[in-house]
Amino acid sequence: MSLQTVLQSIQNSGLSLWIRQNPAIFPIIESLHVVAITLVFGTIMIVDLRLLGFASHRRSANKLIAELLPFTWGAFILAVVTGSLLFTANAPAYANNTQFQLKMLVMLAAGVNMVIFHMTAHRRIAVWDSVPPPTAARLAGVTSLILWVAVIYVGRWIGFTLDILF
Amino acid sequence: MSVQAFGQWLYTTPAAAAIRETVWVIPTVQAIHILSIAVLVGSALVSNLRLAGVFAADEAPTTIIRRYLPWMWCALAVLLLTGLLLIVAEPGRTLNNAVFWTKMALVLFAFVLTLVFQKPLLNRQSADNGPDRSTMTKSAAWLSLGLWLAVIFCGRFIAYT
Repeated sequence: MSLQTVLQSIQNSGLSLWIRQNPAIFPIIESLHVVAITLVFGTIMIVDLRLLGFASHRRSANKLIAELLPFTWGAFILAVVTGSLLFTANAPAYANNTQFQLKMLVMLAAGVNMVIFHMTAHRRIAVWDSVPPPTAARLAGVTSLILWVAVIYVGRWIGFTLDILF
Repeated sequence: MSVQAFGQWLYTTPAAAAIRETVWVIPTVQAIHILSIAVLVGSALVSNLRLAGVFAADEAPTTIIRRYLPWMWCALAVLLLTGLLLIVAEPGRTLNNAVFWTKMALVLFAFVLTLVFQKPLLNRQSADNGPDRSTMTKSAAWLSLGLWLAVIFCGRFIAYT
């Protein structure tokens, strides 16, 4: 089964049809998607700035990361669920859209950056928990900021370049 | 001059045409608008959850407000500026739109709540952890967080009404 057949069968699914046939649904899902994204970026940015050495509401970087992470993941799950529904409504159009592909790639890069951070600087966080962060942490912070800004920017472009809305 | 007539006039101005006709301007301004509301809502989340008593309870509310309120004001300034540009570019989409005016009312409400319940904390002694605040402050904190989320929802919804 080729990718195009998979996309087409998503497009022909009952869920996809239901979203397309109820004009109020798509805007509601998309608005929730934006709410979720702002919460993801808003909480990630607090951590990223702390990794860059900006003071946060608490001194301990480890505590800050631990207490914000549940919010970031919660919002990220909402973003993925709503994003998947938007995709389902128009699978082939999204899959063939350059900005959409780019957004997925940049998110993947952000994920890789996070994994690298957790395997390197975060392992030694006890050492720099309340002193200026090491270069590896700063690098992870600035990379994450750039990547998430890019995710939001190319994400916004999808709305201007998608072939068909319905 | 009615709002509608004003919108029509605004649409015909050279500034509006320039913004509309340069392909990358509207998406870029919208992206900056979204990034700024993310800064604002991140700050509002932490501040309001602290005031509600469910987040970082071991830190004084004053410490938290002092860190995040300046970010909120800066974000709000960028939001107003970029928002204004978007209105100039596409007045018809906003000025005649009930969701847009609902959003503006919600922004004003959330702004006033922030002024009343957060700003006074700036002058408090940091060490004053104090007893956890009144029921009034807690309710205002939850309400204000809900309002900002509703503002974001309405902001995206404007495009569809």
